Amino acid sequence: MRNVYLYDGSFSSLLYLVVTLLHSSLTPADIKSYEEYQANLLDNAISIKLIEDEIIYKSYLNKLSSKVMHIVYYVYLSSNERKELVIYYFIKNALKYKDEIIYRRNLNCVNEALKLSKYVGSENHKFKGFLRFKELDNGLYYAEVTPNNNIISLLAIHFKDRLRNESFLIKDKKRNIYALKDESKIYYLNDKDIEKLNINLSDNEKDIEELWKTFFKTIAIKERKNKKAQMNFMPKRYWKDMIEMEEEYENSDKR
Amino acid sequence: MDLKEKLIILSDSAKYDASCSSSGSTRKNDKDGIGSAAACGICHSFASDGRCISLLKILMTNCCIFDCKYCINRRSNDVKRAIFTPEEICEITINFYKRNYIEGLFLSSGIIKSPDYTMEKLIETVYLLRNKYHFNGYIHCKAIPGASESLLKKLASLVDRISANIEMPTENGLKLLAPDKDTNKIDKIMKTVKENRNRNFAPAGQSTQMIIGASKETDLDILSKSSSLYNTYNLKRVFYSAYVPVNSDKLLPSIKMPPLVRENRLYQADWLLRYYNFKVNDLLDSNNPNFNILLDPKTDWALRHLEEYPKEINKASYYDLLRVPGIGPTSAKKIVSSRKYFTITFDDLKKMNVSLKKAKYFILCNGKYFAENKSLRKETITTSLLLENKESTDGLKQLSLFE
Repeated sequence: MRNVYLYDGSFSSLLYLVVTLLHSSLTPADIKSYEEYQANLLDNAISIKLIEDEIIYKSYLNKLSSKVMHIVYYVYLSSNERKELVIYYFIKNALKYKDEIIYRRNLNCVNEALKLSKYVGSENHKFKGFLRFKELDNGLYYAEVTPNNNIISLLAIHFKDRLRNESFLIKDKKRNIYALKDESKIYYLNDKDIEKLNINLSDNEKDIEELWKTFFKTIAIKERKNKKAQMNFMPKRYWKDMIEMEEEYENSDKR
Repeated sequence: MDLKEKLIILSDSAKYDASCSSSGSTRKNDKDGIGSAAACGICHSFASDGRCISLLKILMTNCCIFDCKYCINRRSNDVKRAIFTPEEICEITINFYKRNYIEGLFLSSGIIKSPDYTMEKLIETVYLLRNKYHFNGYIHCKAIPGASESLLKKLASLVDRISANIEMPTENGLKLLAPDKDTNKIDKIMKTVKENRNRNFAPAGQSTQMIIGASKETDLDILSKSSSLYNTYNLKRVFYSAYVPVNSDKLLPSIKMPPLVRENRLYQADWLLRYYNFKVNDLLDSNNPNFNILLDPKTDWALRHLEEYPKEINKASYYDLLRVPGIGPTSAKKIVSSRKYFTITFDDLKKMNVSLKKAKYFILCNGKYFAENKSLRKETITTSLLLENKESTDGLKQLSLFE
């Protein structure tokens, strides 16, 4: 039987579970959130009672540098199905090797953790550029994104600083979750919290979109046309949520 | 003339400026403001020519009292002219920024009435954007050569990056093709910016641009000029812009396609100067004044110095690693910091995401070469590299297009 340990999907529960396992010398075959776990005859699915003593958590987690914690958090945001196990082994080795851990690429867990966290970081960076807001008639700025990783919180923090006087709502279409920024607070919502979303564009929204599409077309030098380079830097999966590429996306082979 | 038509005219004539970088500034947002700068820069889209769009790149006006041969906006050309008002530029910038289309503004201009008058208009626009619209995003503005120093200082204290284009690598080239321009005036701008730069004065530094292939200069002329600009004025970047034939003139070369491969080689070499500790003389000399079109400058250099290879990955110095084709600063740093803790093998290099496509011919990992046969022959490596390297076969295609 494979011992699969279950947790509620939150970052803090995952850390608590990892510490509980390490402290009790238990080796997981896998770790999954309740939501994602699919029962299986070969598995022994375990909801373990987490250690209650805060001091024990601190004795483990305080040994991890902020650099290591940053990597752990980014791996947690990844959509890789092995991410929890990668985190377990990465933390286990980080406790042993301290800050040297990030140079020990020959260890599989380190290599995987660094790759996953880098992927989350670079996807976040791409969406900071490729996300597009539309102004709605109630003054809200609304954007839809379809990221591979769960980066909506990273994006919300980025735009909260930039658009200080605007309210915005970002929808992750893949996960059906929303980040709403109002005044100086960010709220995370799901479909149940939002009864009906009225997407009515503000009066001059179409005009501004038209100006942008015009600029986008004009700024390209036709003698240097290079669709392959464009596609390399901005792969097709981003196009459907970018107003300047929508039309080309609709006319293209959508794979 | 409506706003859309103006935007078409004034972005169309701004597009030949290669710079669209939004990096190097950490300007913060303030209480009532909008926007901030990201030190690493952010690309917001990619145009169909594959170039990054980060900034709203426009001219304030394409009217110009100058008559530079290579420029679409030269006085003697019969093209439609337009002028943006400062308010119009601010409105478009803010509206684009709020929707996250752009990282900021890149404002340039033709010269109307006089350099001072043009500069005053640019300052008025940027001042409004910063102080009325409270815009804290990235602004790159062109300085107008010949305008007074006090105006230059005023402008630089409002923007993140400032630049003046040198256009031609030699004074003769400039005299021939841009008779109204004067290298001394551009030098003066660069000197002032260098001497006054601080966090409130062009914090993202200055850059410049040279047009490639409009005049007779060799790659050696161009790269020597870049090198001296980096050393003298601490420029952040020199941009290279392959000449796009927009005008016909007996002084201009008659080419159909811009020399894109040559432009790419210059960018690669420029990188080698700034991040790889190469000197111009390592790469080019008077017997060999132009880059090899088929191979990138570093590979070309390594093939001319085969006696120094292969290098042992576990022992070579950081600077020797940097000279291995395919290994850049990121990979070299990873290698140097990891080999303290374990002996690196070819498999480990793959795990570390070090590209082996070119590097494998020039390295040993713990005494091992990637192939049985260790004899390094220039012809063999060149042939395999050319066959494997997509870039050079693309290069060949482009070459056949314009030769």
